[in-house]
Amino acid sequence: MTLAETLAFLLPPNAELRFGELYLTRDKGGVFAVRHRDDRKSEDGLEIVENCNDLRELAKFDSEGEYRPLKTAPTLRSGWVTKSDDAEEFLARLDAIYPAVFATWISYEKGELDAISLRDTLNRQTGMYKFAGSITDQMANEIMRSTCAKGCIRLIAWPIENDCPVSRLKAAKGTLPVICTEACTFAVSEARRLAKEAYEKANAT
Amino acid sequence: MQISKPHSALLILGHGSTENPDSSQPSWDHADKIRAAGSFGSVHCAFWKEEPSFRQIWPTIEEDEIFIVPNFISEGYFTRQVIPRELEIEGHTSQRGDKTLHYCDPVGIHESMTDLLIKRALEVIDEGVSPEETALIIVGHGTNLNKKSTDAIKDQVEAIRAKGPKFAEVLDAYMEEAPFVADWKELTDAKTVVVVPFFIADALHSYQDIPVLLGIESEITEAASQREVFRRNPYKMGDRTIYYSSAIGTDPSLAEVILDQVAYFEEHYRS
Repeated sequence: MTLAETLAFLLPPNAELRFGELYLTRDKGGVFAVRHRDDRKSEDGLEIVENCNDLRELAKFDSEGEYRPLKTAPTLRSGWVTKSDDAEEFLARLDAIYPAVFATWISYEKGELDAISLRDTLNRQTGMYKFAGSITDQMANEIMRSTCAKGCIRLIAWPIENDCPVSRLKAAKGTLPVICTEACTFAVSEARRLAKEAYEKANAT
Repeated sequence: MQISKPHSALLILGHGSTENPDSSQPSWDHADKIRAAGSFGSVHCAFWKEEPSFRQIWPTIEEDEIFIVPNFISEGYFTRQVIPRELEIEGHTSQRGDKTLHYCDPVGIHESMTDLLIKRALEVIDEGVSPEETALIIVGHGTNLNKKSTDAIKDQVEAIRAKGPKFAEVLDAYMEEAPFVADWKELTDAKTVVVVPFFIADALHSYQDIPVLLGIESEITEAASQREVFRRNPYKMGDRTIYYSSAIGTDPSLAEVILDQVAYFEEHYRS
């Protein structure tokens, strides 16, 4: 089954799904639609967005006009709807809002994608991020609390260390989970900042 | 370049930015153009600093053969270290499960970039301005950390000079190493100067930093997409006139260069 076919299977006619800040529906005629969950009650007055480029532009800025480099930040604008009767096109539109998030979940659920520990991600870094791997577990927890939990809607699937047991995430009924299988550039940058701060503090004269 | 690979995917890699909203746009634009032409089964983008990231992209690609083209200017730290490490590829062709991954050269080193740079320079100067009396400066980032980072620009400058006396002078200059772009008035005596940034996007460096170094902006402006007017060429500075173009990577023809790199791969690296 292709990804588009999988999406059509998970969202049959007359069904709905929650997907992060999104609310996905499919009417009895098979037309897919997605809008912000804040607009779940009614489509009335919503701006109709008709292509991936416009959706990508919409997802690029929050309601204050601030740039959203992290597409799963909890700041997606509301007030719009996009529809398609084609599963492949509908998946492309979801990807314009949440890039690769649907495919990541499907791959993870099938057992084809494993989460990477934070330590492995940090230890792999080079250049200016090379020392990010020197953070303590306490700092790692701080990153998960302050950077990840506050700034992103993804559910963390990765452990801090390789030997930390983590249970595999499961989809709640009526939802497509938005998961994080590996720490992103924001977490790595924060690790670098904390490592640098700790080094400077330790070497302060 | 005509490419017909309906059973293969094309993956365009860009740097992206967590600060500037315009950094990834050229990669998306080129992807759209190539997708519309139907050259590949699917066309994808992935970024170092944006989403989808290099690490997130694999589950989205369903074709078994994938051509990877870095939308980067030069060969160096990113194309030789970061990308292979993050994508877990080695050499020109790698296997990932059932998938065969072909790693092409970055767009910036393809020979077709030479004509693109000349075209861009001639487009930006006003009608009636003689190129033969105009100095062309190609500007790159430059870094003392990597000697190879300026090779792509030096090669292009040589290639433009070799093509004939189109411009009074053709020079290279850099943000962070000599010859410095901030010293452009000392680098050439020409009264008219056209500057083409050898960058992928009109983002932080080419749109915001270099204009300040050239002296055509007094302070760093908003991002290009957030301003009503892109650029007000030409800029008069004493007895000098300077034209500043948008980044070479924003030229729609760059989509062709991406395909050229796939064709180059087929011709030179296919085992």
